[in-house]
Amino acid sequence: MSKKKEKDSDLKGTLYSVGLVGIFILVTWFMAFYLFIDRF
Amino acid sequence: MTTIKEKALGFTIVDRRDGKLALANMYVAFIALFIGGLCGLLQVLVRSGKFTLPWGIGYYQVLTVHGVLLGLILTTYFILGFQIAAMSRTSGTFTDKQRLLGWIGFWVMTIGTVAAATMVLLNEASVLYTFYAPLQAHWIFYVGMALVVVGSWIVGIALFMKYIEWRKANPGQPSPLLSFMVVVNMAMWQICTLGVAVEVVFQLIPWSLGWVDKVDVLLSRTLFWYFGHPLVYFWLLPAYMVWYVVIPKIIGGKIFSDALARLSFMLFLLFSIPVGFHHQLTEPGIQSFWKFLQVVLTMMVVIPSLLTAFSMFASFELRGRQLGAKGLFGWFKKLPWNDARFTVPFIGMAAFVPAGAGGIINASHQMNQLIHNTIWVTGHFHLTVATTVVLTFFGASYWLLPHLTGRVLTKQMNKLAIIQGIVWAVGMTIMSAAMHIVGLMGAPRRSDFSTYGGAAQATDWIPYQIAQAVGGTILFVGIILILYIVVNLLFFAPKGETEFPIGEVSEHAEKSPMWLENWKIWLTICIALILFAYTVPVIEMIQNAPPGSKGYKFW
Ligand code: HEM
Ligand SMILES: [Cu+2]
Repeated sequence: MSKKKEKDSDLKGTLYSVGLVGIFILVTWFMAFYLFIDRF
Repeated sequence: MTTIKEKALGFTIVDRRDGKLALANMYVAFIALFIGGLCGLLQVLVRSGKFTLPWGIGYYQVLTVHGVLLGLILTTYFILGFQIAAMSRTSGTFTDKQRLLGWIGFWVMTIGTVAAATMVLLNEASVLYTFYAPLQAHWIFYVGMALVVVGSWIVGIALFMKYIEWRKANPGQPSPLLSFMVVVNMAMWQICTLGVAVEVVFQLIPWSLGWVDKVDVLLSRTLFWYFGHPLVYFWLLPAYMVWYVVIPKIIGGKIFSDALARLSFMLFLLFSIPVGFHHQLTEPGIQSFWKFLQVVLTMMVVIPSLLTAFSMFASFELRGRQLGAKGLFGWFKKLPWNDARFTVPFIGMAAFVPAGAGGIINASHQMNQLIHNTIWVTGHFHLTVATTVVLTFFGASYWLLPHLTGRVLTKQMNKLAIIQGIVWAVGMTIMSAAMHIVGLMGAPRRSDFSTYGGAAQATDWIPYQIAQAVGGTILFVGIILILYIVVNLLFFAPKGETEFPIGEVSEHAEKSPMWLENWKIWLTICIALILFAYTVPVIEMIQNAPPGSKGYKFW
């Protein structure tokens, strides 16, 4: 049980999830940036 | 002081007298939701071009009702009601004096609301919820708005008093997390509402009474947005309270870290106020350097926002793994998806991903030109406030209302609540996506249906306006559903005891350091940042003031 507990604190999924959110933000931002450069 | 009943139940119940005060606020909030939602429906129908308002009612009058009731009244009342209950739950029952202040604040706000609403209904104040000068409303509208703010301060004092009482009784101890968060939010509110109070009392009221005939528009907008951005965080932080403190308990897990939660709230306090210029990026009369500085400060909120995202995912993953989840994302399936108290706020969290991404685009200085005053902005804040925040509030209502009324959420109501969340998500995806896209095509916000003299560009917008009408109609069904559930929880649900869920901190988490609750440090930094960001540009604004404007009534 206690051995298992140690393994519990594995937060890989969390790391990847936050990373995906970050990537989504960057991608949309660059899409808008491209549009901006194109227009102004 | 736990009562015998509470011991038997295993949880604390908010004192009935405090509960009544919280409920009074909730009633006003949900009445506002009904009327405001109806206006939302009318707006999308009008803008589709297939429907005209009867009896000579103006579009902008309807839009003012919608913005004021949903953006200002629903939010403020729900938040104060929620915070009163949260404070009572975590720091103990209010004293008679504190509760009396709560009631005085409630009535001052309500008198103000009725006064302002009456003027809007009499068509004397179709100035939209931002009441921008030089549009000029009847002075009673402004006095009503001022009373709403003053009333909220009085409620705030009651909350501060409770907190101080707790700290005195428990020296050297960190306050209960939820109480701490309530105090951060009210501190922010107190500081930011000073701006709009100055605008209303010293500029708009004398001007609308005719005591002075001109108003400095630039200064009035600056004071408004000094308040306007923290306003959106005042809406969001109570949703974060639910996410940080309540959701972990509902999923059967633990709060990932108490210290991280406190730190992110303090960072929100710091970086929510000195940033109002990001709403004035196209405003002449403010030097580019000061806009840039406030843009940088704005971007700092990315830090506590990602901390929050991390903390949420971590609570979910730890819980899922505890239940035996395997693989990188296996924990996702283990979450209690058939519990509306979790699923509905979760939809709100998911909406915050595109909402946050859009917000960063909006605030990116020159790039703001891409979307400024287009309906993209409306699409953006229907994701932030009208999805993330309100779905979290709806999710919270599913335990808070029955907790306060001594009833329970039945299985059928729980199911209906999940359907409500899905209906909202579908309707909002359609409406908000259409708004975002057509906004990029140049369609303006705050506009009645028009073919703009048959201009080709405006013709291209019409299919998207029809899409908004479809999405908006689905959303209105969502409003009927939530109101049905709320009425059930207030008056008809079976009697019983419902828990006000408060999460416990994970045993692995470090103890929170006391400097996180050292108000001297945080308020000093907060005020220093505000002075840094605003002093010079405001002095420049006053020294090189634009010519004043007389009032206009275009409706
Ligand atoms: C049935 C659901 C809803 C529909 C169909 C709807 C629709 C709309 C539309 C079409 C507009 C923009 C109109 C224009 O710019 O000409 C608008 C504005 C707005 N909505 Fe909603 N909305 C809904 C719910 C909400 C909710 C729940 C909130 C807040 C909690 C909200 C807050 C606002 C605000 C603050 C504005 C800005 C008003 C202004 O620009 O002066 N809406 N809404
Ligand atoms: Cu803002």
